[in-house]
Amino acid sequence: MGRIVLENVTKSFGDVEVIPPLDLTIEDGEFAVFVGPSGCGKSTLLRLIAGLEELTSGSVSIDEEDVTLVPPSKRGLAMVFQSYALYPHMSVRKNIAFPLRMSKMEQSEIDQRVEAAAQSLNLIDYLDHKPGQLSGGQRQRVAIGRAIVREPAAFLFDEPLSNLDAALRVGMRLEIGELHNRLKTTMVYVTHDQVEAMTMADKIVVLQAGVIEQVGSPLELYRTPRNIFVAGFIGSPKMNFIEGDEAAKHGAKTIGVRPEHISVSDSQGEWSGVVGVSEHLGSDTFFHIHETGLAETMTVRADGEVGFKHGDRVFLTPRADAIHKFDDKGLRI
Amino acid sequence: MSNRTLPRLLQSPAVILLLIWMIVPLSMTLYFSFIRYVLNNLRRPEWTTPSFSNWRGFGNYEFVLNNKDFIFAIQNSLLIVGSILFFTVIFGVLIAVLINQSFPGRGIVRVLLISPFFVMPAVNAVLWINMILDPVLGLQGIAVNGLNDIIVGLKDAPLVGWFFSLWPTLEPISFRATQTSAYAVIIMVTWQWTPFAVLIFMTSLQSEDQQQKEAAVLDGAGPWSQFRFLTLPHLGRPIAIVVMIQAIFHLSLYAEIEIVSRGNGNKNLPYLIGEFANNNIGAASATGIFAVILANIVAIFLLRMIGKTLME
Repeated sequence: MGRIVLENVTKSFGDVEVIPPLDLTIEDGEFAVFVGPSGCGKSTLLRLIAGLEELTSGSVSIDEEDVTLVPPSKRGLAMVFQSYALYPHMSVRKNIAFPLRMSKMEQSEIDQRVEAAAQSLNLIDYLDHKPGQLSGGQRQRVAIGRAIVREPAAFLFDEPLSNLDAALRVGMRLEIGELHNRLKTTMVYVTHDQVEAMTMADKIVVLQAGVIEQVGSPLELYRTPRNIFVAGFIGSPKMNFIEGDEAAKHGAKTIGVRPEHISVSDSQGEWSGVVGVSEHLGSDTFFHIHETGLAETMTVRADGEVGFKHGDRVFLTPRADAIHKFDDKGLRI
Repeated sequence: MSNRTLPRLLQSPAVILLLIWMIVPLSMTLYFSFIRYVLNNLRRPEWTTPSFSNWRGFGNYEFVLNNKDFIFAIQNSLLIVGSILFFTVIFGVLIAVLINQSFPGRGIVRVLLISPFFVMPAVNAVLWINMILDPVLGLQGIAVNGLNDIIVGLKDAPLVGWFFSLWPTLEPISFRATQTSAYAVIIMVTWQWTPFAVLIFMTSLQSEDQQQKEAAVLDGAGPWSQFRFLTLPHLGRPIAIVVMIQAIFHLSLYAEIEIVSRGNGNKNLPYLIGEFANNNIGAASATGIFAVILANIVAIFLLRMIGKTLME
């Protein structure tokens, strides 16, 4: 069980209000991802849930029980930190056993649970190693092991993959996803990487300057971003924004088209421009188009085999049903 | 020229200088320890100049071993060093953890805490033995007298008077001229060197990983468990360094012993050497060789211990 409800939560450091009043509900068993640029308050929000920071006002409850004043260790949550925060002088076995030992569990029970956790995380061969002897991915798994042995009501992840290299990150992403499918426990995950958010989440919470911009499933956010910020933040490469006359034609202050919703042609189309940098990924090619008269550069996705070169004049056509319109306050029309 | 010869050639002046630095005093000490060599002897004036014709073999060593103060001095050396290490490490850790918290005036408190370390050893000894530990004029004497006066006053009090009349009159402790003078030395050197330990432990505590502590808090560890399982292991290395440096310094304590009791009831090896060196250079040199052996035994233990901590 682990239904987390935040009501009217605020947090100030001195005079600086980092989180204005905020309400949020994370359902039991849900994989919720807080995503936003650095300094948007997503980690602070996670630490408020964990109890590592005190609320300035408002309340946090877990499973209908108000835990606002309950100390972190009594909230039944487990957290995985960005730096892993393993205890360097203890073996992997002792690291994983530490929370159980602190709760004065029987030694035989501890051994059993540690073995089970190590088994499921492929750490059996490393139980007697010290953290310093492990690779980044293994350390991350130990940190996860230390969290799962406690059988918490919810897991909190604070940018757990940002210290790993790109290949390992993809692997660990899948492992955490698998873990969630297996345990069916609530997970709250903080990241600045929208790809991680899109691939893992049941529910994405987009934050900016402590304010929730939008909450929804990955595809909801992709299809119907509520405002320009969410539209620009979700999706990779970034959505193209066009202002001025072209936007006015659609009855909006700003219109946005995703790179994958624009088709490129060498003969005809609605807009035209000159090819700048092309990024060939094999499956796709991204063209950066200049001199369109609409925006400084526009990014367009084409098939991997399309072979325009630097300096070629090309014509662009947006998909009519995929144009996002925003009013002068940046809100979706 | 092979590619190793040049570096060795370039290193050699430094190495040779260091060797001479070490070998010359050591071999002179060895030489003096095997001959009869005294500074003043009217009956045998030839002993006053060092020469191989005064060869005494292991005679000086025998003389030292049979001296009533020798074993006592070794025991005392170890007692003083061991006790100082024990107390400075414990006080050092506790004070460092305490002042690592943030509180108003922390900067001033830290400076004040470090200041005993800047007092000269002889001044430190004079202050302690005359102003604090003296049984009549010192703080100790005044405090004991004050306590006695209070107890005498309470003997006439109703209800509880019978209880206080069971109390004996307290006697102030004399810290000179008996074994207690070793305790005086331990107290004053501990006072002086605790700041050193605090300083080293404090810098180490500041490098402690805060996320580890937060993880421990979430894992349900209370303040004691955090100290026991995170802070103490983290301090393992600095503790080893403090122990090693202090052991080297305190094996050669001299000024405090001289000032507290002039060696009465409390000698260590350096002090014994000093006493012999008033006249009998041969015996002093032999004691010096014993001191070198003792220091090496201590060093082997320390290096074992520290090597183990540093390897982790």
